[in-house]
Amino acid sequence: MSDLSKIPIHTEKHAPEEARTNPLAGVFDELVRFAQSRSMYMLHYCTGCGAIELPPAMTSRFDMERLGIQPMVTPRQADILLVTGYVSVKTLKRIILTYEQMPSPKYVIGICSCTVNGGMYWQSYATAKKLSEYLPVDLYIAGCMPRPEAVIEGMRALMANIQSGETEPWKDYYQRYDYYLGNQQHLFGDNWQTPTDVIGQAQHYGLAGPETEGEHTRILQQYQQPLVAHKLRLK
Amino acid sequence: MSLLDALLLTALGTLIATLATVRTRWVGYVASLGLGLQLLVLFLLAPLGYGAPAVTSGLAWDLFGQPLVLRYDAMSWYFALITLGAGLVSSVYATGAWSDHYRAAGRSPGWLQFALALNVFTMLLLLASGDFLSLFIAWELVSWASFLLMALAAGPALKWSLRYITYATAGAMSMLAALGIVFHLTGSLNYADFMAAVDQWSVGLITLLTVLFGAGFAVKMGILPFHLWQAGAYAETPGPGMAFLGAISSRMGLYGMMLVWVQLIGLIRLIEVHIPLTFLSLRDVLMWIAAFTIILPTYTALKQNDARRLLAWHGIGQGGYMLMGILSASALGSAGGILHIFNYATNQAVLLLAVFAVVYRTGTADLNKLGGLFTRMPLTFVAMLVGIIGLAGIPPMNGFVSKWMVYRSLLSEGMPLLFVASVIGTLGTILSVYKLIHNTFLGQLRLEHEPVQEAPWSMVIPMMVLALIIFLTGFMPGIVLDWVAAVQAAVGLPVLPHTLGGVADAHGGLDMIMLVLVLFAGFGVSALLFYATGRSEPVHQLDNYAGGHFLSADVRYHYSDHFYAGLMHRIGHWYRGSFLWFESVVASLASFLAQWSATFYRLMQPALPMLAMAVIVLWMVS
Amino acid sequence: MEIGKRIADIILMPIVAFVIGLFMVLMLRKIAAKLQRRVGPPFFQPLIDIIKFYSKTTQVSHGLLHDIGIIMAVGGYLAAESLLPVPGMDGLSDKGGIITLTYFLMIPSLGLALGVGQCANPNGSIGISRALTAMLAYDIPFVIVIFGVAWHYGTTDLSEMISLQQAQGWGAFEMPLLALAGLFALQGMMGKQPFEIYVAPAEIATGPMVEMGGKYMGGLFVMQCFQLYTAGVLYTTLFLGGGTHWLDFLIKIFAVVAIPMMIAFTFPRYRTEDMLRLMWKWPVLAGLLGIAFVMY
Repeated sequence: MSDLSKIPIHTEKHAPEEARTNPLAGVFDELVRFAQSRSMYMLHYCTGCGAIELPPAMTSRFDMERLGIQPMVTPRQADILLVTGYVSVKTLKRIILTYEQMPSPKYVIGICSCTVNGGMYWQSYATAKKLSEYLPVDLYIAGCMPRPEAVIEGMRALMANIQSGETEPWKDYYQRYDYYLGNQQHLFGDNWQTPTDVIGQAQHYGLAGPETEGEHTRILQQYQQPLVAHKLRLK
Repeated sequence: MSLLDALLLTALGTLIATLATVRTRWVGYVASLGLGLQLLVLFLLAPLGYGAPAVTSGLAWDLFGQPLVLRYDAMSWYFALITLGAGLVSSVYATGAWSDHYRAAGRSPGWLQFALALNVFTMLLLLASGDFLSLFIAWELVSWASFLLMALAAGPALKWSLRYITYATAGAMSMLAALGIVFHLTGSLNYADFMAAVDQWSVGLITLLTVLFGAGFAVKMGILPFHLWQAGAYAETPGPGMAFLGAISSRMGLYGMMLVWVQLIGLIRLIEVHIPLTFLSLRDVLMWIAAFTIILPTYTALKQNDARRLLAWHGIGQGGYMLMGILSASALGSAGGILHIFNYATNQAVLLLAVFAVVYRTGTADLNKLGGLFTRMPLTFVAMLVGIIGLAGIPPMNGFVSKWMVYRSLLSEGMPLLFVASVIGTLGTILSVYKLIHNTFLGQLRLEHEPVQEAPWSMVIPMMVLALIIFLTGFMPGIVLDWVAAVQAAVGLPVLPHTLGGVADAHGGLDMIMLVLVLFAGFGVSALLFYATGRSEPVHQLDNYAGGHFLSADVRYHYSDHFYAGLMHRIGHWYRGSFLWFESVVASLASFLAQWSATFYRLMQPALPMLAMAVIVLWMVS
Repeated sequence: MEIGKRIADIILMPIVAFVIGLFMVLMLRKIAAKLQRRVGPPFFQPLIDIIKFYSKTTQVSHGLLHDIGIIMAVGGYLAAESLLPVPGMDGLSDKGGIITLTYFLMIPSLGLALGVGQCANPNGSIGISRALTAMLAYDIPFVIVIFGVAWHYGTTDLSEMISLQQAQGWGAFEMPLLALAGLFALQGMMGKQPFEIYVAPAEIATGPMVEMGGKYMGGLFVMQCFQLYTAGVLYTTLFLGGGTHWLDFLIKIFAVVAIPMMIAFTFPRYRTEDMLRLMWKWPVLAGLLGIAFVMY
C-alpha cells in the first residue's frame, strides 16, 4: 500500500503575487476568478464505471447546470477534466494528450478510488495507480463509485478553491514539468512525447519555473520531433 | 485618323511584334507593352465611356459591294476595357517566372502570347463592327482565335477545342442564315436599315431572327443547351490563357446579344411576342433559359474536383446572371447585368490566376491533392479569398453590387420564381467556392507541400491589382456604374440613376460606401476586443483534437473528397447528364442524315455525283 | 437624419443587440432546463461564460486565419446590427434593405468557415460543409418569404416596412402562409434542433467549434447572442410590425425566439438530406402559395 498521506488533497498555499499597481486590478481579478469558478465546462474522460454517476448529476435530478457546470465535447472547450475510473497505461497516454490540449486554467478531478490508488486494480500490471503522479490533480472524489451528491460536493469544493485563488495546480504542471514528465517516461519509455510543446507554452506565458526543465526534458528533447506551428511566410 | 484607328493599329502592331519575337525570351514583355499601349489609347477614348458620341474609324472599305463600317460606342468601349484589362493582366502573369516554367515543360510561351494578342485584336475588331457583315467576319475571326488559344496545349485540349469549333461553326451557320434573311428583306446589312425595317416585321420573323442570331451568340456565351464545350475547352487552356478566356472571351456572345436583341430588335418587341398556348413572352422564355443557365452549370461546378473545371463551370453559370439582368429590361436590372460583366471578369481572372499560381507551385489543380497552403502562399490566398467573396456575391466585394441589382430588379418587376432561381444559383456558388478555397488553402498541409513557397512577384502583382480593383469597385461601384449608364444609353435601355456608393432609391437603395465603412468599423472593434484579451499561441496542425488519438504527418487528417456528402445524398441522383445525352442524339442524327443523303445521291442519282466531278475536273483543267 | 444621430445609432445598436442577445441565450437555456425539468443556469450565466472564455490564460490558435475568422464572425454581426431598425434607432437601414442584410449576415458565417478551415480538423470541415448545406436548405424558403414580403410592401427598406405595418396591420395577419414559412426558415437559421446536424456533438465533436477554446469560443458565444437577436428582430420586423416602443418590441422578439426554442428541445435531430427534403417541401410550398396570394 502506498502512503495515503501523500495524496495531495489540499495543495499548499502559493505565495501571493507582487502587488498590482492598478487599484482596479484586484476587482478585475476577483471578477475573473468568480467567472472561472461559476462557469466550468467539463470534459468527462469516461475511463471506467464512475462515468455512470455523471448523467444523473447533469440531468433533472441533480442538475449541475444551476452551478454553471456543463458537459463539453473537446478538450479545447473544456475547463475540467474528469477522469472517472481506472487508468490503464494506454488510456493514460490519451488522458495526458487531452489534458495538454486543454487551455489553462484547467482542473483535473479524479473520480472513484481507482484514480486515487488503483482501487480494485491495485495488482494490475497495466494500470497507473496514482493519477497525481502524472497530472496535477486538483481534487479526488473517492468512493466506488461516488454518488452524484458526492460529485457535486466535490465540484463545489473546487469552485470554492478557484474563487479563493488558493488552488492552482495547473501552474504546477508547467513549473514542475520535469517531475511529471519523468513519471510519464518511467511508464511509457524514453521516446514518449505529446504533440503539445509544454515547455514552449510555459515560456510563452511566463509560467516556467526552475523545475520546468531538467534531466527528463533533456531526454524528451533527445527523442522529440518538435512540432513547430507553420509560420506564415511570404518567401 | 481617329483614335479608334490608333487603337486597332496598335493592336495589329502588337500582333506583328509578338509574331516577330515569338521565339525570343522577351516576347512576353513585347506583348505586355503592346497591350499596355492599347489600354492607354483606350483611356484616351474614355469620353465614350461617359456618353460621348460614337467614334468612327477612317479605315472603311467595301467588300462585295457592302461598306464595312468600324465604329466604337459606349458599349464597345466598356467591353474593350474589360478585354484589354484581362489581356494585359494575363500577359503580364504569363511573362516572368511562369513563362520559364512553361518553357521548361517543353512548350512555347511565345505562341501563347501571340494567341493572346490575336484574341485581343480580333475581339477589339468585333467590338468595332458597325454592320452585320463586319460583325460576321470579326465573329469568325474571334472563334478561330479562341480555337488557336484553346488548342495550344495539344493532347486533350485538342479534343475539347475541336468540340468548341464544331459548336462555333454550327452557331456561325445559324448566324449566316439570319444574315441571309436580313439581307433578303432589307437589301442591306446596315444596322440602320435593319432598325428601320424591324418595326414592320411580323412576330414570327422577329422570333426567327432572335433565335437564329441568339443561337450563334449563345454558343460563345455557353448558354444552355450550347454550353457543353466550354468547361472542358477552357480548363485545358494553359494558365493565363484560361484566365483571359474565362474572364471575357465568352462575353463576346453577350455583346452580340445586347447588340442584336437589345439595340437592334429592342426588348420591347421580344416582350410583345407571346408564345402560343402559354402565358409567357419570348423575353420570359429567354429569361428562364438564363435562369437554368445559372442553376444547372453552378451545381455541376459543385461536383467538380478540379479547380479549373470548377471555375470554368461557374463561368457558364455567371453568364446567366448577366443575361437575366439585361433581359429584365429595367434600368436597375440591366445595369446589374452589364455591371456583372465587369465584376465577374475581375473575379474570374483573379480566381484563375490564383489557381494557376497554386498549380505553378504544387503541380496540381486536383482539389483532393491540396490543402493547408494558407501559411505557404498567403498572398495567393488573399487573392483567392477576394475572388470567392466577389464570385459568391457577398459584401463588400463588387460581385455583391451587381447581383444585388439583379435581385432587386426581379423583386420590383415581380418575378418571384426567377428571383428564387437566381438565389439558388448564388447559394450553389457559395457552396462550391468554399469547397475551392477550403480544399486548396485550408485544412491540413500535406507533408510534400511543406517546402512550397509563395508565387513569384510577376504572378502575385497581377493578382493583387485585380483584388484591389474588386474591392474598390465594390466600395465605390459608382465608378463602373458611370460606364454602365453610358452603355444603357447607347443600346436604348432605361438609364440607371446612381451615386458613387450605389443606387439611391426611396424604397430600398444601396450605399456601399457607408456599409463597407461600418463593416470595417465592426471588424476593427472586434479585432480590438480580440487582441486586447488573452495572448494566444499558435500550435502545430497535428496538435489537434482527434478523440485522444496521436496524429502523425503520414496519415491524412483532412476532409476534402465528396465534400457535400449530405447534399449529394439528396440531389445526387438529379444529375442525369441529360445534355450530354441530347448532344449525342444531335450528333448521331446529323451523322445519320449525312450518310443517308450521301447514299441517297449515290443510289438514286448516280449521274449527279459523276456530273459534279466532271464539272470540277473540267473547271480545274480549263 | 443628421450625422450625429446616425453615428450614435451605429454605436448603440450592437451594444443593445448584445445585451438583449445575452438574455435570449439565458432564455434559451432556461427553456431547455424547464422542458427537461431542471432548474437551469443562474441569471448571469451567459455573461459569466463569455468572461470565463475571454480570461483563459493560454489560448490555442491555429494561425492567423483562425484569429481573423473569429474577428470576422463577431465584426460582421456588429456591422449587421446597424442594418436592423429598432424602436428609436434606424441606423443604416435606409442604406441597404432586407436583401443587403441577408447577404451581410453571410459575412460572419464566411469568417467562421475560414477560421474553422484553418484549424485543420476534419470534424470542423464536415461541420462547415453541413452548415452550408443547411443554409442551402433554409435559405430557399427564406428568400421566398423575403420576396413575398418585399413585394407586398413595395419596398426593401425595413424601417418603411415597419411604418407600413403599423399603419395597416401586422404582416403575419396579411400573409399568414409566408409567416409560417418564415417560422420554418427561422428554425433552420438558428441552427437548433431538429436542424443542428452540423454541430452533432457526439458524432463530429461539435463540428465547427471543435478546435475553438478560450476567446475563440468566447467569440462564438458572443456571435450566438447576435444571432438570436438578429433572428428575432428580423422576423418581428417582417411579420409582427416591428415595435412602437421598447416594451412591446421586447415582448415580440423574445416571443419569436421562444417559439423555435420550445420546438427545438422537444425534437431529435434530422439528417442533412432529410432536412433538405423537409425544407424544400413544406415551407417552400407554403411560401409559394403565400406569394401567389400576395401577388394575385
